[in-house]
Amino acid sequence: MMFRKRNALILLVTFLILSLIVAGCGGNKKEEPKKEDTETSEVIKIGVFEPMTNANAAGGAMEVEGIQLANDLYPEVLGKKIKLVIADNKSDKVEAANAVTRLVEKEKVVAIIGSWGSSFSMAAGPIVKENKIPAVAASATNPLVTKGNDYYFRVCFIDPFQGKVMANYAFNQIGAKKAAIIKEVSNDYAVGLAKFFSDEFVKLTGDPKSIVANVDYQTNDQEFSAQLQAAAQANPDVIFAPGNFTESALIIKQAREQGIDIPIIGGDTWEAPEFLQIGGEAVEGAVFSTFFTSEVPITKESEKFLAEYRKKYNEEPSSVAALGYDAYLVIRAAIEKAGSTDPVKIRDEIAKTKDFVGAAGIITLDENGDAVKSAVIKKVENGKFVYQATVEPSK
Amino acid sequence: MSKKVITSLILILITITLLIIAQNNLDSFSLRILNLCGIYVIFAVSMNLINGFTGQLALGHAGFIAVGAYSYSLLVMDPQLKEMNFFLKPLIAPLNTVHWPFLPALILAGLMAALAGFLVGAPALRLRGDYLAIATLGFGEIIRIIFTNTQSITNGSLGLKGIPAPDKFLFFSMKNSLMWWVWIAAIITVIFHFLLIDSSYGRAFKAIREDEKAAQAMGIALFKHKVMAMVISSFFAGIGGALLASLIGTIDPLMFRFLLTFNILLIVVVGGMGSISGSIISAISITILMEVLRALDQGFMGLPALPGLRMVVFALLLMSVVLFYPKGLMGNEELSWNKLMNLLKKPLLLKEVKK
Repeated sequence: MMFRKRNALILLVTFLILSLIVAGCGGNKKEEPKKEDTETSEVIKIGVFEPMTNANAAGGAMEVEGIQLANDLYPEVLGKKIKLVIADNKSDKVEAANAVTRLVEKEKVVAIIGSWGSSFSMAAGPIVKENKIPAVAASATNPLVTKGNDYYFRVCFIDPFQGKVMANYAFNQIGAKKAAIIKEVSNDYAVGLAKFFSDEFVKLTGDPKSIVANVDYQTNDQEFSAQLQAAAQANPDVIFAPGNFTESALIIKQAREQGIDIPIIGGDTWEAPEFLQIGGEAVEGAVFSTFFTSEVPITKESEKFLAEYRKKYNEEPSSVAALGYDAYLVIRAAIEKAGSTDPVKIRDEIAKTKDFVGAAGIITLDENGDAVKSAVIKKVENGKFVYQATVEPSK
Repeated sequence: MSKKVITSLILILITITLLIIAQNNLDSFSLRILNLCGIYVIFAVSMNLINGFTGQLALGHAGFIAVGAYSYSLLVMDPQLKEMNFFLKPLIAPLNTVHWPFLPALILAGLMAALAGFLVGAPALRLRGDYLAIATLGFGEIIRIIFTNTQSITNGSLGLKGIPAPDKFLFFSMKNSLMWWVWIAAIITVIFHFLLIDSSYGRAFKAIREDEKAAQAMGIALFKHKVMAMVISSFFAGIGGALLASLIGTIDPLMFRFLLTFNILLIVVVGGMGSISGSIISAISITILMEVLRALDQGFMGLPALPGLRMVVFALLLMSVVLFYPKGLMGNEELSWNKLMNLLKKPLLLKEVKK
């Protein structure tokens, strides 16, 4: 007993000593001269943080391809070479924060591109804000990425617009009066999209009960008959199923096997070769919205991008590659306009981006730093994604 | 005062001096890694209590960390920030207006995690061995899936953003107060576990690990002690989770997959099951190693930049540890002053013998 009391006492004393030391050294911390003058250095560094390994490596790799192509085509600004510093975030939030801090502190980048996956971009948010380094996300669609953060921008449209586009499609083209939603609940993107779709759909139909069923599934689920039954029993005219391409393809396949022939529509994640492979014949006629099409060049820049991409990588570009390309161009243009490599000045120029001609459409950034741009609707026909229409943003 | 107490005091003082030096000399990148080290020390030491000392292979740590992280975040975020985060579905009534200071929120986060530990442990700890591992793994995932689906409490898969870091350490406001909180929490965790292991409870834990039947025959209440170890372990996991949330500033359910549990288990196994000092050493070295090896990804000595190379090298290093130290770096021994002294004395003694 004595021993324990003494231990406690010692602990207390240590604690007191410790707080004294802390108090002593807390006040006199000097502000060290930070950041060497980047203007004099010979190269301009732009940091890229993307998932290059683990779960989301495929997405990250596509985005990096687009960014590298842009760097090949436009390697210079202000007479200096632009160097890309690529950091892997291992598809992990903690690593994403580490990677961005490293880019900012050690590599002294003037701007950052990334990342595929909104949650990684969100982890980088407070760091870029604190260090006043502008960041441009290529394909992160979660509204929280740019919300309340003056230093985060993106070149893709966000989920509210995409939800609106699909709701309009369902209402006008399919003529649906009732819709069911099957969403991947563990995916922030799908949850947001489902919400914005239903808001708009209710507004269009004027009927608060027009969403007749709203069911969830988890990432990596294989069996969807319960969800499909629930959705089909409500007798909707259309099923909106935002989610990962594998699960979505399985849903459509299982729906058709069960004899449910209600049209099923979705979002940009469906645009992946796996969607066609897994879905096979069942996904014929599936309609979704996306950022970009390689069939019809949207702008002059798209033509150049498409030609060069095919030449360099020998395959059709995905939309995230085009968005990565655009993110790089937006930053480069901002550096040029700012006439300096001061990150704060670059940030101000990025914020002013208006009618910028990118590969994936014309970009205007709104006050939140989100891009206002057109969406593309595609349909699966004969085992291919076929361009249907371009939807312009309405103010 | 016993020799042991003096040595531990010296060690604590050395740590604090090092932290002061770190605070004044390191850039924010290195400080972030330092904080991460402290957090992983808390995770590893607390997981070692149930896995290493009590011998129960429980794999639900990520779930308890999630409980801690979410409880803390929902308490410390200010109402305006919550409104911005919960733009799809509003936060439910009492939570949307609460705004707690750091320390009470941290402690409540630990308590909530401990409660979750009790709720999971009470049924699961009736199982043994592999079955326990499977059941706790399942419970850990269940916690995560509940968080994904309760959108009006946790914001579901959208996650939370803008979780504030503490701006004060106790009453002193300073720039890196989070570092002090993290490391003081880590030191307290370590001291607590050392004292616990040396107490009668700790001996009971070890007895259960060695032989459950014999322990029971000696009059140790098996279930009570197992649940106790689980609750304490999850309490500290919750504290660590809260600190992790304030370090990163944003959380979402996907962070707390079983992969996190395995990362911590890896640290525990490399350090040695049943060795607190082993857990500390391996938590710090693995965290630092992962960042040092990042240089490999960006091209190294003429090699082209190849993302993922560091993971290959990391795996090789881990393999060599497992091959040469099958019981982990420290086995189930502790690093003690005597041993260090002996290590230093050995060459001297040998010389004397030779003479």
